[in-house]
Amino acid sequence: MTDTVRLDTLKPGDMCRLQDIKATGATGQRFMDLGLIPGVVIKVVRNAPLVDPVELIVNDNYISIRHSEARKIEVIPLCQK
Amino acid sequence: MSEIVVAVAGQPNSGKSTLFNMLTGLRQFVANYPGVTVEKRVGRMDYKGHRFTLVDLPGTYSMTSYSLEERLARDFLLNEKPDLVLDVVDASNLERNLVLAFQLLEMKISMVVALNMMDAAASAGIKIDAKRLSTELGVKVVPTVAKKGIGKAELCEALLNTYQLGGNINDFRLDYGPQLNRSLSVLEEALACDKRALGYDLRWLAVRLMAGDEEVMKLFAG
Repeated sequence: MTDTVRLDTLKPGDMCRLQDIKATGATGQRFMDLGLIPGVVIKVVRNAPLVDPVELIVNDNYISIRHSEARKIEVIPLCQK
Repeated sequence: MSEIVVAVAGQPNSGKSTLFNMLTGLRQFVANYPGVTVEKRVGRMDYKGHRFTLVDLPGTYSMTSYSLEERLARDFLLNEKPDLVLDVVDASNLERNLVLAFQLLEMKISMVVALNMMDAAASAGIKIDAKRLSTELGVKVVPTVAKKGIGKAELCEALLNTYQLGGNINDFRLDYGPQLNRSLSVLEEALACDKRALGYDLRWLAVRLMAGDEEVMKLFAG
């Protein structure tokens, strides 16, 4: 079992692979609509503590989500280059 | 002269409105969806002796019932039963845009895909085999650059052709994997004997019920 962490704990420049989404309903659906599905590689563009949003690159798309939403996404960190 | 109603669907920023303008020009008027202050743009165009009435649906990422816009767009498709749906797809962002295309195909409305922003896709180094995509989806796929008016004639032709094929609805079927497919079949069978399912595609109902779609659940609440 690989260690998963919450997406909101990652720092700008970090890469990770999406493992699981704990959000359901409208938020869960929107995540999927935007390409946030298990297995996808995410790059964190910006993430400042306490300040929204968290900006990500997913499939060449820039996506901004709230910290409260990023908390619901479990990821596996990938090694840094 | 027969009137053909076309619902224009697409994700936000797919160039849906630009394409709508390309097809209808200035022959537009604005109404509201009944009961809500969401703008409903309607436009007309004539092509080879046929009058097309185009309805610009709100831009949505998918066709669930979570937001007002999605519900309006979906209710229009389900209740007003347009002759055709034109799905405007951002060619430079195909994967994400196909999510909506799949959901529209599952609703079993005759469909044409406008593969829009082909210029943006090309400059991003993306090549798309429109013919292959058309074969896979089972509907006509027309490359367009609405901003420059490219693909207008081809798109009109595709719409007319698809309309004239009549009840020849796409046989597209999304593979949800063996486990879900089995459950969906069980649901479909149960729905086949249910009067409340009348007028809806059974497979679509089954998928939406399994997703916990509140609006669809309401159909079967009483």
